[in-house]
Formats: sequence, structure tokens, C-alpha cells
Amino acid sequence: MRSLNPACKFLSLLAVTMILASIRDPFWNLSAFAISMLLILASGVKPKTLLLLLVPVFLAAIGMFFTGYRFTAESAMPVRPDAFLIAGNSHIMNGITQLSRVLAYAGIGYLFALTTDRIIMVRSFQKQLHLPQVFAYGLLAAWGIFPHMALEYRRTKAAFRARGIKVFPISPSLLAPLLVKSVRWSEELSIAMESKGFSAKAERTDAMPIQIHKRDVAFTVLCCLILPATAILTH
Amino acid sequence: MGMILLDRLRFSYSEGLKPVLDGLSCSFDSSGITVLTGASGCGKSTLLYIAAGLYPENAGSLLEGRVLLEGRDLSELAPPERCRLAGMMFQNPELQFCMDTVRNELLFCMENIAVPKEEMEERLHHALSFCGIEELEQRTLLSLSGGEKQKAALACLVAIDPKWLLLDEPFANIDDDSARAIASAIGRLHREKGVGVLAVDHRLDNWIGIADSICVMEDGKILEERLDASHLEAERLESRGIIAPGGSYSPSLEPLEAGETVLELEELTVRRGHQLILNGISASFRRGMIYAIIGESGAGKSTLFGTLSGIFPYEGKAILEGRNMKHLRRSDIGRIGFITQNPQDQFVGGTVREEILASLRREAEAESKSEEILRSIKLWRYRDVSPYLLSQGQQRRLGTAALIAYDCHCLICDEPTYAQDRRNTMAIMDSLCRQAREKRIALIFSTHDRQLARDYADMILGIKEGKLYEIPESSL
Repeated sequence: MRSLNPACKFLSLLAVTMILASIRDPFWNLSAFAISMLLILASGVKPKTLLLLLVPVFLAAIGMFFTGYRFTAESAMPVRPDAFLIAGNSHIMNGITQLSRVLAYAGIGYLFALTTDRIIMVRSFQKQLHLPQVFAYGLLAAWGIFPHMALEYRRTKAAFRARGIKVFPISPSLLAPLLVKSVRWSEELSIAMESKGFSAKAERTDAMPIQIHKRDVAFTVLCCLILPATAILTH
Repeated sequence: MGMILLDRLRFSYSEGLKPVLDGLSCSFDSSGITVLTGASGCGKSTLLYIAAGLYPENAGSLLEGRVLLEGRDLSELAPPERCRLAGMMFQNPELQFCMDTVRNELLFCMENIAVPKEEMEERLHHALSFCGIEELEQRTLLSLSGGEKQKAALACLVAIDPKWLLLDEPFANIDDDSARAIASAIGRLHREKGVGVLAVDHRLDNWIGIADSICVMEDGKILEERLDASHLEAERLESRGIIAPGGSYSPSLEPLEAGETVLELEELTVRRGHQLILNGISASFRRGMIYAIIGESGAGKSTLFGTLSGIFPYEGKAILEGRNMKHLRRSDIGRIGFITQNPQDQFVGGTVREEILASLRREAEAESKSEEILRSIKLWRYRDVSPYLLSQGQQRRLGTAALIAYDCHCLICDEPTYAQDRRNTMAIMDSLCRQAREKRIALIFSTHDRQLARDYADMILGIKEGKLYEIPESSL
């Protein structure tokens, strides 16, 4: 998965997501989730990392299960607490369908995110999807700022604490300095990029041209044609 | 011989404000390395940004005059052409990279100026070996120390191969050893490739034996007389607010009267990621005493201070006046104050006055006291202005005053004189040390300036390989 062209991978997985959205069958959703997990693990992602990442997904999936379980088409409204445990097959099926959708979408999302190098992704999007270079490299530069943002957040919080002032995690007085700093950082960063010759309009050479190989075409065909055809035929 | 020509420059950051440069005319030639120095806020960095063609495109407006670099008007050139003429190295090593690794950053620079793909590898390896950082090629930029980042920034410039190097306080954030290594690489670049060098710096010691001439700037004007870098007279420099190499700050401190222990560290261990930064540090700090902490970039000074301010988790104990800092009561918060390297990191108020009032809010007559403090640091006229709109020197004065106004017993300052000229350095340190003596505060500051540590501290501590140890003054 890591060696696939990111633009092809992105379009293929997007197509799979769209197809799954049109099929209301938990088998296909759960299969997509299971295949995604296997491919992620086969790409060298540590099982512990993956499990940690899946914790919020499982929570959301359980939430969606109960939502689907309770709010089927034939459910009475308004919802009564005493009716909550009355369950038929359709309730459970609806719950599993909702749950499996969360798992499928999250699995596919993680499959892309965890098996794609961000630099190669931006280069590929720029070359194959014609993403404007000012947007592509701006995105990469902004990415570099995120770790600083987390540290600055803790620094600002510590500054308030040192003065005996209690602040809530997202209080405006805490976020205002961060906002000021992020504007200042982006200005400094854009000046630094310009001083290194970066321009939105100028022609650039490419140190690592990202090509489309046979395996990329095969993966795209598999995702965009074979999988949907099988799903439609067996549905 | 190449030349930078600045002709009758009038530049202002905003309409209605006094121009930072008012009719400035001068020239620099590439036959020697020139260091431009002068008091903080005199317009040195502004001049450099204009010379690099980054201003007025990115800030301010050029009211009059023109800049010619190698006979060409930079404002008419696109960034790729401009950077082949003038490459810039910035003060803050954190905010000058776009990519993730050193290798990718160098490739990014070469792609910008359309270097053919076949030439890139050779240029990349030449740049890395020129700066002595071949081993950093695959390292992520985030994992580099300040000194390593500045070396990577210099490698980018070597790869671009500009005709001029313009350096804005390139050593402000790094230790002396890294600074000397970078200065000597810049010297070689000038000698071997004929690259013109114009550097802005407050401290001249790193340029001894490398720079050819020193230009002094005052109030937006360059003094006609250029100083010979090989014969610098300390008195002449100090009278202009410049830190003379090896010159003493000669502080007049009250005699030491050490009090009881206020802060005690027991086996303090800090890890960041998988890296062990501080390894079982034990030390005690007493009221009224002034401590300087020195060490190479990345040795752990800022990590130690960040840990004490609660930013990084730690093992071991930090005890403030007999109470474990992990379990401080609300009334104890504020007993330990922090002055950060960047004063903006500590602002909590919307205006200058609110910043002081935040520290005085438990006191009677807070309003009148805040006025007194602001008048004493000459910021009363800016009382209703946002602290972020003050100059860097003013922000630092405000940050220091705001924390000292609070009843703290231990004050920790992370490089309080970072990028300050001699006058400001002395003003900041004199004020901090006077307050430490008067209010019997344990003052702990970090610095890269060994002379500053020697002149102001009662005890000098070093950090190396995760350990904190006392350094006898004689061995500095």
C-alpha cells in the first residue's frame, strides 16, 4: 500500500467509500473494514498504534449502533425509555448497519492516512490532480507548525497558571494569544519560503517525479470496477 | 566585485508612523564580510529585509529610494531569481522550513530555482558536507537542535548558491560552539566562492577573525565610519550600546545575602518522546541568590524550565517552599514566576495595563500601583495598547515587570536577554537582579552569553548530558 501512487490510492478509496454509501449491507462494510485493517498491518503499522487510533472509532461505532438500533423506520415516536430494550431483528440489523458504516469509513480513512507519506502525497496531488503549488506547499508548511501549536498551547496555559489565573481548555483568553502567534508564524514562514525562491507562479523542477505504475492502475481498476461490480451482482 | 546599493531609502511600517529608515544611503561590497550592528530597534533588520527584496512586498512601504543588488532592482525580480542574488538566514530557526526532513528541504530549495534533477544529488551532498552535517540528511527538522537547524538553513543557502548571504542575527538562538562553527563556514563560503556577506548581529565575538568591517547603525542611519573588525575598541563600541567582545557588563549588585531554600529538585528526570533529556537532576536554589544556567543548544535548559512551569511531565520531585510542585495549592501558584524567551508567550492581558493588573489583582490600590510600574518602565503612554503591538524590547520590559509585580519567591528566566543590545541587556539584567536582591527572590536565568553569567550570577550551573552541575567561575 505504501508504494501505491497517492493520487490513485486517494481516488480509488474515495470510489470505494461512495460505493459503500450506496449499499446498505453490513457484510460489505465489515469486509471493507477488515481488509483495511489487514492492509494497514501488512504495511508495517504497529498493532498498538492502530488499536489506540481505533478507540474513538469504536466509541463512535457503538454510539451509532444504539442510534440505529433504536431509531429504525418502524420505531414509535417519541422514544420511551421502557421501549428501549424491546428489540426485533430489524432493530439489531439497523444498528449493525450503522456501526459497520462507521467502521468501514474510518478503516478506509486510516488506510489512506497511515500508509501515505505526506510529502509524496502532496507531490502526487500536484502532478496528477493539478493541485496548485501554492496550496500544496502551504499545506506542507502549515503541517510543520502543528507540533509548535501544541507546545505553544501548553506554554500559554502555563503562563496563565503562573499568574494564578484559571482558564478553561478552550477559553478565548487562552486562544487569543495562540491566534496572534499563528498569524505571526504564518507570515514568517511565508517570508522564509519566498526567500528560498518559492513562488506560486514560477516553473519548478521535480526532484522526485511521481509516476503512475501498472500496480496503481490495477488497484484503481480493482476498487472502481471489480469491487462495485461484485457488490452489485451479489446484492 | 558585487555590490548592494541603498539609495535614499525612506521606509515606514505604517502610514503616519515615523519612518524606520529616513533617507538612508550606503553601499556594501562583496570583497569583505560586513557586520551591521547597533542598538535594538535602530532599523538593522529592516534594512536587511529590504536589501533581500522581502520588504516592502511583505510588510511596510518604501516611501522613497531604491535598492540595487549587483546592479539589479530586486523589486522587479520574481522570488527564484531574487534568491539567486540574495539568500537570507533568519533569527528564528524554528520558522524557516517548509518540508519535513533536511534532505527534502534542500530539494525544495533547488526545485524552486529550477536546478535540473541530474544536478540535485551532487549539489545536495556538497551543501551538507560544506556545513558538516552529512549525518543529518535524513533527520526530521523537528528533531534538530537550534544550532543544527541553523546549519541546515545555511546548507539550503549553499545549495541555492546565491551571490550574497544576508544574515539576520543568525546566532541569537544557539550556543557559542555552534555559532563559531557556522561563522567559520560562512567565512569559507566567502573566501572560496566569493559570496558577499552582510550580517546583522548584536554580538561581535563570533565574528572575530571572520568579519572584515563593522558598520554601526543609529536611529535609522548608518554611521559613516566603518570599524576595522581586527581592531575593535571596547569603549567605542560600548558607548554606542554594542556588546564588545570579551567586555564586562560591570553590574553594580548589592552584596549577596542568601536566604532559605525556596526550590529543591530531587532526581528530576524528563523524557521527551523516547529521548532522555534530564537525567536525575538534583539541586537547591536559595532566596536572594542569582543562578545562571549555561549549556549547548538542545542540552535541556528550556526543557528544565518548561518542566518547572508544568509544560512537560517529569519523574522525581520538585519542591517549592516545602510543597511538592505537583500538588501546589492555588494560593501557592505564582510563588514561582517564569519569564519566557519570547515575551509574547507570557501575556495574559488584552492591554498593557491589564497585563500588570493581572499580577496585582489581589492587592489594594492595584490601579495606582499599575500606573507606578508602567511609568517606571516607560510604558505608561502605551497603557491601552495591546501588548502584542509593542516592540520586542518593550514587550520584554513589560513581561518582566508583570511577573515581578506578582509576589513570586522564585523567578525563572529563559534567556531574558535574547537578541538584545548591550544597553537593553544591562537594563534587563540590572532590573532583574536588583529586584532579586531587594525582594529576596531566587533568580534563575539561562543564557548563551558566558560573560553575562560570569558578571551577574552568584552561582553558574551547566547542563550537559542530562546532568546539572556547578561550574567554577574560573573555568569559564
